[in-house]
Amino acid sequence: MLTIDAKNVDFYYSEFHALKNINLEVEKNKVVALIGPSGCGKSTFLRLLNRMNDLIDGTRMTGSVLIEGKDIYAPGIRVDELRKEVGMVFQKPNPFPKSIFENVAYGLRVNGISDKNFIEERVVQSIKSAALWDEVKDKLNKSAFALSGGQQQRLCIARTLAISPKVVLMDEPASALDPISTAKIEELIYELKKDYTIMIVTHNMQQASRVSDKTAYFYLGEMIEYDDTIKIFTNPKELSTQNYITGRFG
Amino acid sequence: MQSKRISQAIAFTLFKLMSYAVIVILVLILGFIISRGIGVINWEFLTAAPEEGMTKGGIFPAIVGTFYLIIGSSLFSFPIGIMSGIYMNEYATDNKLASFIRIMTNNLSGVPSVVFGLFGMALFVNTLGFGDSILAGSLTLGLLSLPLVIRTTEESLKAIDNSFREGSLALGATKLQTIQKVVLPMAFPNIITGLILSIGRVSGETAPILFTVAAYFLPKLPNSIFDQVMALPYHLYVISTSGTDIESSRAMAYGTAFVLISIILIINILASVLRNYFAKKVKMN
Repeated sequence: MLTIDAKNVDFYYSEFHALKNINLEVEKNKVVALIGPSGCGKSTFLRLLNRMNDLIDGTRMTGSVLIEGKDIYAPGIRVDELRKEVGMVFQKPNPFPKSIFENVAYGLRVNGISDKNFIEERVVQSIKSAALWDEVKDKLNKSAFALSGGQQQRLCIARTLAISPKVVLMDEPASALDPISTAKIEELIYELKKDYTIMIVTHNMQQASRVSDKTAYFYLGEMIEYDDTIKIFTNPKELSTQNYITGRFG
Repeated sequence: MQSKRISQAIAFTLFKLMSYAVIVILVLILGFIISRGIGVINWEFLTAAPEEGMTKGGIFPAIVGTFYLIIGSSLFSFPIGIMSGIYMNEYATDNKLASFIRIMTNNLSGVPSVVFGLFGMALFVNTLGFGDSILAGSLTLGLLSLPLVIRTTEESLKAIDNSFREGSLALGATKLQTIQKVVLPMAFPNIITGLILSIGRVSGETAPILFTVAAYFLPKLPNSIFDQVMALPYHLYVISTSGTDIESSRAMAYGTAFVLISIILIINILASVLRNYFAKKVKMN
């Protein structure tokens, strides 16, 4: 069964036709990179997958998105339940003004888990999975705001992992970080794909080619090309794709 | 070149002088009240009831009355104001109802306080039959401070970056959980500042309590919320304008003004202390 299966997706911000007939399938434990110039619809598409676009007034969608076979836009779907399955890491690190521990425990607590031992175990395990443990193990009760930007972003990843999602969406997760922090996030993505299906929006071509198995190129709301990353970057079918990845525009 | 530098210097001096003028005005008012009023301040003044046609004794009942009115109006305006502020910023950001409420709130804050007094008398004192009472006065003052509370809450919530809401929702939290556990704690330092400042406003108002609660002379403390009370601003008005012997109660008037200003000053200081305390706490836990 496909982990993500988007069929004939059209999306509108009021009158603006932001996504045009997108069809995209993702298999389990793959990393898919979405690339394309600003305003091409890649972030909009990403935010469709955990229904983050619901928060914006005046939007409309047609078509269907299946996550593990379940139509997430079907009537009666609970959005908060969906978002436990489909986690998200944002462009700007956005830890809560709480301790490091409580940041990671937050997702568990709001989902009704109160078993102290379980929470503690899961928090530690998630911080370890996010490759942050060695840096924060002595200061779990300190404010998350005291961490560096790169550490904060890994904390946000840990926070997402804690609720055991099946899919992790990343919206330019390293664009606000320095090169060393970026490298750490990329390594982390490589590790995480063993357990999760990952979709990442990025403006960084090298990053897309380093971390992803497949790449989708978006332009003006259309998905121009979707193929194995190696093919997209070495032998793209479309001229538009080639122009973009070689930096001729965008 | 020269004229450019001169106009620059003139502008800068002008701005500086004007801002210093503000300080001078404040210091003058405070200095005037303090120098005239401090003489009568003693333990008896603060803890005894007025005597001999309000030319002797103290202002204790008025202090107590003002505190009752602060508490009463807060009990009314804080819950309603905070909840509608939350509704307007978190639930109904873009709909017609919210912008209608917003316009109404702005209009409400432009209504002169004496009109609130008249309305309070008509509705609470007469129609609802509360009589001249702490209840009627508190409700009237509550109405007066409601726009301020709503506005403060809304502005404080608006200042919280949307990325925190998204971060919480993306973890499967409901909207209510997000508001309770992330948004409100972050906005709390600012909200509490606004609330305390609204208390400062309430404690100084005279017109709204004129027809709804304030007693001309009532040397005993109230027994229930249906009793009248004395209150500082009204007491000040009374002994400055219509006492039995205005000249000999003049010192009492300045003393009362001194106490009233001190209370508001203390409230403002408390606001900034609490604000800093909670701002630190939010960051730490």
